[in-house]
Amino acid sequence: MKALTKNLLYFMVFFTIGAIVFRYGLSSFLENRTYSLVWIIAVIYFFFNFFIGWYFGKRDYETLPLYDIGFRFHFATYLLFNTVSVLWFLFDFHSHFESIRVVYVTALFWGIFIIAHFVIYLITRRNAILGIEKSEIF
Amino acid sequence: MSENNLFSELLSAWEETYKKGQLTLWIFLSLKDGKKYVDEIRVFVEEQSNQTMTCEIQSLYRTLRKFQHLGVVDFETGEGNKGPERKYYFLTELGHKLLENFIERNISLFFNKRIKNLINKED
Repeated sequence: MKALTKNLLYFMVFFTIGAIVFRYGLSSFLENRTYSLVWIIAVIYFFFNFFIGWYFGKRDYETLPLYDIGFRFHFATYLLFNTVSVLWFLFDFHSHFESIRVVYVTALFWGIFIIAHFVIYLITRRNAILGIEKSEIF
Repeated sequence: MSENNLFSELLSAWEETYKKGQLTLWIFLSLKDGKKYVDEIRVFVEEQSNQTMTCEIQSLYRTLRKFQHLGVVDFETGEGNKGPERKYYFLTELGHKLLENFIERNISLFFNKRIKNLINKED
């Protein structure tokens, strides 16, 4: 199955930029103890991700209706967010109020959901031929 | 509901369901006829089906991308008419085999003498 589509790549680029901006804002606001802005940037980040996921996901399905119950986009989100987060700590960009342990715990629990999503994807894949749902082909 | 209304509603409901799966057959037939770019496919389908089948260009592109992904259709680029290069679609070997088998299993039976007589028979 063609997994890495053009729209998924666009999504990944926008998502990575969003994750870096979010990390930068989070660390800066925590460092400056402007906690109310942390909430604001988190909400903006949520809506930004929702919008790019919805926009590129819809375009991706319209271009080629791959039947993956959103797994490719979810997995890309998981990989990128956690990679950006880990690198943020490795390059020492984080604030003194942040702990890398939170990143690892998030990755662990999120990872459980990713595995569950992957299993459901494998089960539903039986209804598809080369990634396209049988009832959608003809 | 008057009998005329019932008749026309039933007929259009049946045709709607029937046509849903028909587009593939018409697209495949148009490509069996020879390599075509998307607008030529549209014209072929509409003309040969006596305008009973209509298709929008965008939906044709989407369908062709799907078929290309599945390996039943492919394209080569060729010169356009004063414009940019065009994609000329054609059936792959798998596409030809698929069409041939589909026709043999589902269409040819309508040419069976008994069925032909039934179709032509007046009530």
